[in-house]
Amino acid sequence: MTDEQDELRDRLRAADPAASLPRTDPDRVARLLEETMSHTVTTEPRTDDARHRNPLTWLVAAAAVVIIAGAGVFVMMNGSEDPGAPIAGSDPTSSTGEDSVTELRAPGAGATAGRCLPVTAPALGGATVAFDGTVQEIEGGLVTLRATHWYAGDPTDLVTVRAPSENLQALLAAVDFQDGGRYLVAATGDERLMVCGFSAPYSQALAGVYERAFGS
Amino acid sequence: MSSEEREVDRRARFEDLARELIDPLRRYLARRTDAATADDVLSETLLVCWRRLDDVPDHALPWAYGVARNCLANAERGERRRARLAARLSVVAPPTEATREPDTRDDEVLEAMAALRPEDAELLRLWAWEQLTPVEVATVLQISPNAAGIRLHRAHRKLGEELRKIQRVSGHEQSREGSGS
Repeated sequence: MTDEQDELRDRLRAADPAASLPRTDPDRVARLLEETMSHTVTTEPRTDDARHRNPLTWLVAAAAVVIIAGAGVFVMMNGSEDPGAPIAGSDPTSSTGEDSVTELRAPGAGATAGRCLPVTAPALGGATVAFDGTVQEIEGGLVTLRATHWYAGDPTDLVTVRAPSENLQALLAAVDFQDGGRYLVAATGDERLMVCGFSAPYSQALAGVYERAFGS
Repeated sequence: MSSEEREVDRRARFEDLARELIDPLRRYLARRTDAATADDVLSETLLVCWRRLDDVPDHALPWAYGVARNCLANAERGERRRARLAARLSVVAPPTEATREPDTRDDEVLEAMAALRPEDAELLRLWAWEQLTPVEVATVLQISPNAAGIRLHRAHRKLGEELRKIQRVSGHEQSREGSGS
């Protein structure tokens, strides 16, 4: 290193905003460790995802079966070559107003029976839109979420999920969208909302699946 | 090893690792964002380390800085960014009127840093504040060591140029013993 570089480094170090930061207090370290380790870790990825699913998820998944049927786009347990997750209804991404918006569409009611795949990172990995967001508004068949973290896809400020009005309740039941609630939401390549527990209220377990699917 | 033993072993490994990482990560974040975001991102970074414990290399710190960098980028991409922008800016580019540690601050060097491209300034922060070698900088930024070396060299040169410009403007040239003309 040259003298000039030494001097620059010394001057920069003298201006280090963290120079006066005290060492972390041991109580805080202990708390941080405990908080972190309270999160479930997957060592056997396949079993973990199902094992930690709470009963509500199964209810949601059951409701989602009905919804998926309506979309007519689903994965049959036999005969389908699509390794991806159940998907449901679509609309292209678009922008309106000041906030950029990704538009997704929810399924309508239908007649064909489909079944859910387990919510696992490999199954979720097929999603090209995946984000963490908070419901800002539920109105007129439209659920508007404000995205706070994008796992996949082109980040936009808002994401709307549109359901035909008669199916809004069904959509709300499938993903349990509630005003102000925080959700993890995924959609496949053509912007089709993934239900069946893939899009669901935020939980550490589901966030773990998203993280594994899309990396950190 | 039973699964309980593996779990105990895993926790012990993580505790050792985290104790080593927490202080450097806190400093890394304090240099780049506001306190509230720093706390959030520290938790997220530790969580990634915990979940990916088996992927953590032996020389963990540069890797962990890379994780923190990604988590911070995500945090700032979101809504929180708007609310905390003012606080963040005051750390990244402190205003000329001193708001923190006025006695020890080298305004010129901070002004020169603020005039650099953000990528160059970040390289210099990693080098001077985190005290990383070019190879370690490369790990954080996920670029090749060769590229890190070249960019770092270029960033040094640019910082030197900016400082000389500032000194010319503020009439401090004489203190440089004529080397800055």
